[in-house]
Amino acid sequence: MAKRRSALPTNTSDRIFDICNMAFMMIVVVVMLYPFLNVLAISFNTSLDTVKGGITIWPRDFTLENYKKILEYDTLLVGLKNSVLRTVLGTFLGVLCDSMIAYTLSRKDYKARKFVSTFLALTLFFSGGLVPGYMLVRDLQLMNTFWVYILPGMVSVFNIFIIRSFIDNLPISLQESAKLDGANDFVIYWRIILPLCKPVLATVALFIAVGQWNSWFDTYLYNSMSPSLTTLQYELVKILQNTNSTTNANAQSAENIANMVTPESIKMAVTIFVTVPVLVIYPFLQKYFMQGMTLGAVKD
Amino acid sequence: MKVKSKVISIVSAALLLMGTAACSNDTASTDATKAKSSKGPVTFTYFGADPVPTWNNMQDEVGKEITKRTGVTLKASYQVGNDDKVGLIASSGQYPDLISPKGSAAKMVDAGAMVDLKPLIEKYAPNIKKLIGNNWGRLKYSNEDPKVYFIPTYDAVGQKQFDAGGGFELQHAAVKEAGYPQIKTLQDYENVIKQYVKKHPTVDGKPTVGMSLIGSDWHFLITVTNNATGATGKPDEGEYSIDPKTHKATFHSRLPEEKEYFKWLNHMNDIGLLDSQSFVQTYDQYLAKVASGRVVGLADQSWSYGSAENTLKGAGKDELTYGHYPVTLNDKYKRHDFQSIGFNAGWGIGITKNCKDPIRAIKFLDFLASDEGQILNYWGIKDKQYKVDNGKRVIPADVQEQKTKNNAEFTKKTGIGMYNISMRYGDGMKDSTGNYYTTNFPENVVKNYSKETKEVLSHYNAKTWKDLFPSEKEFPVLPWGAAWSINASSNTEYGAIFQKAEDTAKSYVTKAILAKPADFDKEWDNYLKALDAIGVKKMEAEYTKLVKARVELWSSK
Amino acid sequence: MKTLPLEVSKPMVVKTKKSVWSKILSQKYLILMSFPFVIWVFVFSYIPIWGWTMAFQNFKPGLSFSQQEWVGLQNFKELFLDHDFYLVMRNTLAMSIMELVAGFLCPIVLAVLLHELKNKYFKRTVQTISYLPHFVSWVVVSGIVIQMLSTDGGVVNQLLMNLHVINKPIEFMGKENWFWSIVTTADVWKEVGWNTIIYLAAIAGIDPQLYEAAKVDGASRFRQIWHITIPGIRTTITILLILSIGNLINIGFEKQMLLGNPLVQSHSNVIQLYALNYGIGLGRYSFGTAVGIFNSVVSIILLFSANRIFKKTTGESVM
Repeated sequence: MAKRRSALPTNTSDRIFDICNMAFMMIVVVVMLYPFLNVLAISFNTSLDTVKGGITIWPRDFTLENYKKILEYDTLLVGLKNSVLRTVLGTFLGVLCDSMIAYTLSRKDYKARKFVSTFLALTLFFSGGLVPGYMLVRDLQLMNTFWVYILPGMVSVFNIFIIRSFIDNLPISLQESAKLDGANDFVIYWRIILPLCKPVLATVALFIAVGQWNSWFDTYLYNSMSPSLTTLQYELVKILQNTNSTTNANAQSAENIANMVTPESIKMAVTIFVTVPVLVIYPFLQKYFMQGMTLGAVKD
Repeated sequence: MKVKSKVISIVSAALLLMGTAACSNDTASTDATKAKSSKGPVTFTYFGADPVPTWNNMQDEVGKEITKRTGVTLKASYQVGNDDKVGLIASSGQYPDLISPKGSAAKMVDAGAMVDLKPLIEKYAPNIKKLIGNNWGRLKYSNEDPKVYFIPTYDAVGQKQFDAGGGFELQHAAVKEAGYPQIKTLQDYENVIKQYVKKHPTVDGKPTVGMSLIGSDWHFLITVTNNATGATGKPDEGEYSIDPKTHKATFHSRLPEEKEYFKWLNHMNDIGLLDSQSFVQTYDQYLAKVASGRVVGLADQSWSYGSAENTLKGAGKDELTYGHYPVTLNDKYKRHDFQSIGFNAGWGIGITKNCKDPIRAIKFLDFLASDEGQILNYWGIKDKQYKVDNGKRVIPADVQEQKTKNNAEFTKKTGIGMYNISMRYGDGMKDSTGNYYTTNFPENVVKNYSKETKEVLSHYNAKTWKDLFPSEKEFPVLPWGAAWSINASSNTEYGAIFQKAEDTAKSYVTKAILAKPADFDKEWDNYLKALDAIGVKKMEAEYTKLVKARVELWSSK
Repeated sequence: MKTLPLEVSKPMVVKTKKSVWSKILSQKYLILMSFPFVIWVFVFSYIPIWGWTMAFQNFKPGLSFSQQEWVGLQNFKELFLDHDFYLVMRNTLAMSIMELVAGFLCPIVLAVLLHELKNKYFKRTVQTISYLPHFVSWVVVSGIVIQMLSTDGGVVNQLLMNLHVINKPIEFMGKENWFWSIVTTADVWKEVGWNTIIYLAAIAGIDPQLYEAAKVDGASRFRQIWHITIPGIRTTITILLILSIGNLINIGFEKQMLLGNPLVQSHSNVIQLYALNYGIGLGRYSFGTAVGIFNSVVSIILLFSANRIFKKTTGESVM
């Protein structure tokens, strides 16, 4: 698509637009890169020197020691395994369920459409709170199981609406012709809608994957007594745990904790260690929502 | 709307359903001492309400040794963040075998979740019994429910302090240049700073800071309000000041003498000696400033600025590290830093009704309370983390270096100091072999001082910083122990007022300190008015009741 | 605007006199594809609403349901009589409206401009980099912001001083009036790249032939953006706008807590922090739940209003 567009002749105003746009994007790159480089730089700096502050994008006192240390944390490996598992499984199931519901909601002739979408939309804005949620998980016997990572969050209402708005924009004629061919609704969803939805499915997959990867609260609430079910992010949060708790702070316990606080540099090294895997998968998904569709099939 | 009414009917049906299902409570209560006890390997679950970032699932050296000796593996989980997990545990009935709920103990006890420990200790835990001695009265939960649900783990028995970590701090260089003057009052302290800043307006090209505080987060309590208490001759009772005779509690930062302290801070700000960033900077920025060596005076605790001081030491700038001085508002006041709290109970560990083998659990805690267990926890493993030379326990130099260099890492690997989950002796107590239980003893304190520190101290005829402060012998033991460990009232209104009072103090006291000197009194009156408006008197009355109840409970047998 | 995809999708008007059962039968696949999940959502989202009863109790953890003390509307009374509550609401709404405006426009602009970049690799690189800050925690980001705005060698003050805009450093973090803008800017900085992703996906769904046709007609780039790109992602924009209006009150508290300090307390306290500090944080489940119910009610009113307004004016809606 990009190639075809540039093949056409461009005029001066177009060229000015492009130059301004490029310049603007350069600024964006610089501004956006800074915080991440800062974390990276600190993670390669010795912890004793980091306390002095003032590190920007380059380590002042370079060392690999911080990374060597965190590789000795064997809980991180167990966490890595569970995090990968929950991310892969959770994303797969989530995309499947969300897109299926989204398709039914995009069908204007579906009688229960209004009921289902209202029923779902409401849940975005209320929650029963911590205690009932905890009791529910207890009563469903999900505590200290892996499934507590997958089941409660499997249906995401927000993602359903995102997918639906995408399907709404697809030409409807395809569906109708398929219907005339005698295909049932599931076949239309599976054969026609899903392939066309690649950009939005990639987006939703990214949202779910990052959400799964980053969540630690469920591990803490439900599985913290099962070391074999720990997740990478929970281990990170425990390491990052500081004395910055706002409540119940008193000198006595603050002193106890202060002696065990992890040095800043190691914290940043763990942060990088935990973030990099999710950054690595990004380009694979990116191509789907950056390239646009090769829309040979979608012609009215 | 039709949909809405449909939803509502479904919801109400669900409510009826869940109302009955969600709230079953295990009330089966059996005499714990009659339960059967196993011998083989066993796993206990444990929850601690304070974070332990270094916990390593007992894969550390001390942890492995504990499992080897007792057959017990702990599956531990600790508080993360601010959510009230103890409340969830109490509501759901999913109690761990052992729990240390800190200030939330009432929730567990109200739920009927805890086991009475007294019969278990009497029968199976000789070491714990020895540590309790004749202090059973202090272990009782309350006057109404005099059972023993928790054994104290937050304070070690017989703990003595050998060094001062608080007071007001000054860089050695500043004190030296001032000619080692007497530093007893705020005026003395201010003079030293003033002279030094005048002589050295910059350090390494950056402006010298007279005195810096961290008022932007919870350190406000440590560096701002607690010092008002210390400088006006009162022991640290958290946010309260308790009258030793009437036991009446007052929210301390509203007292007239403390107003004088804040007025002094206002004055310091006015003459430019108080860091203008004091209430804005983050803790990391504060540490960075201290580590750069350009802050002359602090009003902090050494555990709080320790990592910055270590950086200074590492850079060979020992003259820019700090000494602790017993500074008060004026010479009428005496610092109470070392007033003893006696045998302190209140917060600690207990066994829940869900524990299948309470006898085994108490025996496990008893092992940790034994000489063997305590030495393992404090010193580590013989010939690894310590050696015995002529009957004396010593830490080899290389181990000590690892420990000081990166304490968190060292703790994670060795597990030393991570098993403070049972009763134990404190610093200064000796075991049957004549060795100290802990690794903190007078000889060690002086040994770890730098040359500069020793020099400064010699000019004051002192061996340690503690020698500069009034000794504990000058004060009676506090009859209520540590006020912070009085379990907060279950009256929820009290909690809300207290939170509000803290927020009010943070905001108004800060404003008063940073006001123009002429406006200080006006700002202060606004503060007092704001406190009155939120019902601070009611809160104090409620807390006074709690203090009185504790004194009554603790004087019982 | 020749071919708006939306206008094509008219409901199929086929009049039949079939019975309810045959209608159900004819849509059996659609029902099978959605109702299992309706039950799912019922279990995980609706059943826990029994917890709202706590707002009418003096809930104590550990007691059974029948042992709880019922207090009627007392918790709500306390909430509405609290002077601070109104201050907190003011801050919450002010910051969330600022965030709604800025946090909504910026990602759309960035997405559209990214789409206009010609070099595929540059485009991808910029996009990847712009989403990096999303993965840096607020603790780190707020530390950087406070450092940049500091009077003690902060970049912003130095820059302004060198440009002679000011002659004395400004204590940005200590000024109440600056706080909302600082939070909003920091939030845009951190989240803008992440939030563009949805729009990029929507843009990717636009039929490329539309651009070709426009080019042939000699439409300038701005005209193309205005007449093809924007209408092409209009549905997505509307849906997200409705959902975020419904979410107006759920602002979170982490950034306000980390960037705030006692000097700006009257402008930094927001409803979620208030609920934490005066509710759950103190073990006051009932009060916390009352705040939660208040939030939900406000959100749902906002959601339905926004939904209705958009339905009337643009014909697009969530429900």
